Amino acid sequence: MRKQYFLYLLAAVLIAIMPSCSKTPDYKVLIITGQSNHDWKVSSEAIKQILDETGMFSSTILTTPQKGEDMSGFNPDFSKYNLVVLDYEGDMWPEATNVALADFINQGGGLLMYNSKSELGGIVVPDSVIILERQDFEIRNEISDHPVTSGLPVRWLHPADIIVQGLKPAGEDSQVLAAAFIGNEFRGPRKIEPVLLARNLGEGRIFITLIGTPDDNENMALHCTGFIVTMQRGAEWAATGEVTQEVPFDFPTAAGTVLRPDFKTFTGDDLFENIGNYDITRSTKYFTYLQSQIRKAGGDEKKLLELEKKMVGVLKDDQATNEAKKLILRELSWMGTDYCIPSVKKLASNQELTDDVEFALERLQK
Amino acid sequence: MKQKTTRRVFVRRSAAAAAGVFIIPNIIPSTALGMGGKKPPSDRIVMGAIGTGSQGMSNMRDFLNLKNAMQFVAVCDVDSKHLAQAKQTVDNANNNSDCRTYGDFREFLEKETLDAVSIALPDHWHGIIYTEAINKKLHVYGEKPICRTIKDGQTIVAAVKKNNIIWQTGSWQRSQAHFRRGAELVINGRIGKISYIEAGLPDGGRGIGTPPVQEVPPELNWEMWLGPAPKVPYRGVTHWDWRWILDYSGGQLTDWAGHHIDIANWGAGLEYTGPVEIAGTGVWPMEGIFNVPVEYDFLCKYANGIEMRVANASRLKNGMGTTWYGELGWVHTDRGSVLTASDSKILDEVIGENEIHLYKSENHWQNFIDSVRSGSPAIAPIEPAYRAVSVALLGEIAMTTGETIHWDPVSETITGNERASRLLSRPYRKPWSLLTV
Repeated sequence: MRKQYFLYLLAAVLIAIMPSCSKTPDYKVLIITGQSNHDWKVSSEAIKQILDETGMFSSTILTTPQKGEDMSGFNPDFSKYNLVVLDYEGDMWPEATNVALADFINQGGGLLMYNSKSELGGIVVPDSVIILERQDFEIRNEISDHPVTSGLPVRWLHPADIIVQGLKPAGEDSQVLAAAFIGNEFRGPRKIEPVLLARNLGEGRIFITLIGTPDDNENMALHCTGFIVTMQRGAEWAATGEVTQEVPFDFPTAAGTVLRPDFKTFTGDDLFENIGNYDITRSTKYFTYLQSQIRKAGGDEKKLLELEKKMVGVLKDDQATNEAKKLILRELSWMGTDYCIPSVKKLASNQELTDDVEFALERLQK
Repeated sequence: MKQKTTRRVFVRRSAAAAAGVFIIPNIIPSTALGMGGKKPPSDRIVMGAIGTGSQGMSNMRDFLNLKNAMQFVAVCDVDSKHLAQAKQTVDNANNNSDCRTYGDFREFLEKETLDAVSIALPDHWHGIIYTEAINKKLHVYGEKPICRTIKDGQTIVAAVKKNNIIWQTGSWQRSQAHFRRGAELVINGRIGKISYIEAGLPDGGRGIGTPPVQEVPPELNWEMWLGPAPKVPYRGVTHWDWRWILDYSGGQLTDWAGHHIDIANWGAGLEYTGPVEIAGTGVWPMEGIFNVPVEYDFLCKYANGIEMRVANASRLKNGMGTTWYGELGWVHTDRGSVLTASDSKILDEVIGENEIHLYKSENHWQNFIDSVRSGSPAIAPIEPAYRAVSVALLGEIAMTTGETIHWDPVSETITGNERASRLLSRPYRKPWSLLTV
């Protein structure tokens, strides 16, 4: 018994010092839902998937009594969790529960408020708010050096979501991290509404997201990579005060929206299985992912050679499309080594690739 | 302004006439011009235009606004609709129907006898067409960015020097009083020694995915439009939108380098040098044929210790424009007559007689014509244009490779990085090649 206890302790210490190596989720999350203007069954399940997908959270959904039901017994033990997520807008909780939640945050806990408007979360809700019709809009970072937004594109497009107008940050300790931008960039009135906010409260932190609402249809807003990733980062920040997650390749940009149909993180593990089928009219994703991997290697010979070998594999593959080979040749033209030369030269007989082979060899000076 | 005909203008125009006949300055017989007895003022600079899309026509209008200073006689474009519009504009201005049209710049350069040419083309054509026009000893008003690659730029610079022609870059901000004033305050030390500069250039815009392959419109010579760029099927992207595709442009970054980086260099005395170290990051679209970075943010270090950050405007506190930071304050300048400073007193400073007075021009196109006449350099000569776009192109290389680039601004080479060095040029598709100057 004593020995077993020691092993548990050792495991706990190891997990604590090597968070990135641990396969067990590090942080326990309580998602509270049950009443809302939107379909909370869809959203709370999505939030659970999104948070658990990071591997660092283990989420439990807790449903409150329904509207009008007795709320007096609703008194969850927040202390068992690192992060509480509110996907809730409805009947008042017992005062003791509100106090317990405030204590939990004050003592260092994290709160993530998902489309849950409450002053506790650092926003002031006026008597009446205007909810704009569902539309695509651009989100812009207002603060780019906060752990949640650091390294993210400063502008990105978000699909088919509602914008709540008139919310104001409560007090100076509430920071608007990002805002929805509506209107023409150059002409006419610009409207900016906060969509991501952060607030420090006591020893704890609150992250607020006002995007990603379900629409009883395709739920594009909920599947937006921008919503998903900012929620994952916001959750980590609220729980720990820092963000260790990398900015993913598929974060949307000002050029276009990006969705994660199943909330799954784009790993690119299947890059070289997919890039051979490259068809520009279908998707350029795997090619732009390859470019991002080359950049990420940042001149590291070993990593670049590893990529080069796989790229040459595509050149050698009779099943791979000429379009794929053209793109590979273009990248090899600057980052290739002697390793790729024989395979590049072999393609010269392919009439459709003559120009591309010449391009590559000229640049490689071979 | 002095009205005189430069030796070269004179020589070129009288070349068609009997050799050895010297005419009193300012009067050239119309027969020498082959204009059938019509007598234009001899001080009119005879020009042609290559590239008559939106920017080419904008420049043409700016030249025509100079009234009798110059005259267009020939235009060239691969889009026959653009060409017809340009001819119409020229003919209206000349009150005749004589403007000659060409679909191939080689024929244009071969057949036309001109003093100068206004060139506004997609960047991937700049290397070849600028160089060939310069080698014909034409004075050139050339649009920025002057090159798609550093090697193109080096070739163009060498050609200008060798042929000793007048070059004016379309960096027209130099001819606006507030930009000059800002640069002049900075170069005269009104904010002390400069340590840091920010150049804010436009953000990138929305993508269009990948449009289907389409039939080339009958007015467009697609093969000639592509020229030295890789052969691709026509998907409806040509005029204007070429700037979102890396085969033809570096996007807003390279497009605007010739404005706010150029002004930054002008004020900081960096016009004839370049950074020694460049590092940064970009944001690229994930999907579609528009593949230039929509965001970019890199830092350039200069040998004298100055650092310059170049970024899309949304990343910078001051947004668009140039901001110089010195030990005594800052000066910011942007379009729309924006000129601000950390202390408004800086803006009231008088530049003394013995201090640096930057080149003054009040009209960029007039300045070109005046320079062609006088034979003295224009306000936006070739090397500063090359140095300005080099900053952007080196930034592009740093972002593409994910590496810190070391650049030798004297030998104009990247040191210690073979991969990055390969990105200094782009091979041309046959039969096109860049002339060796």
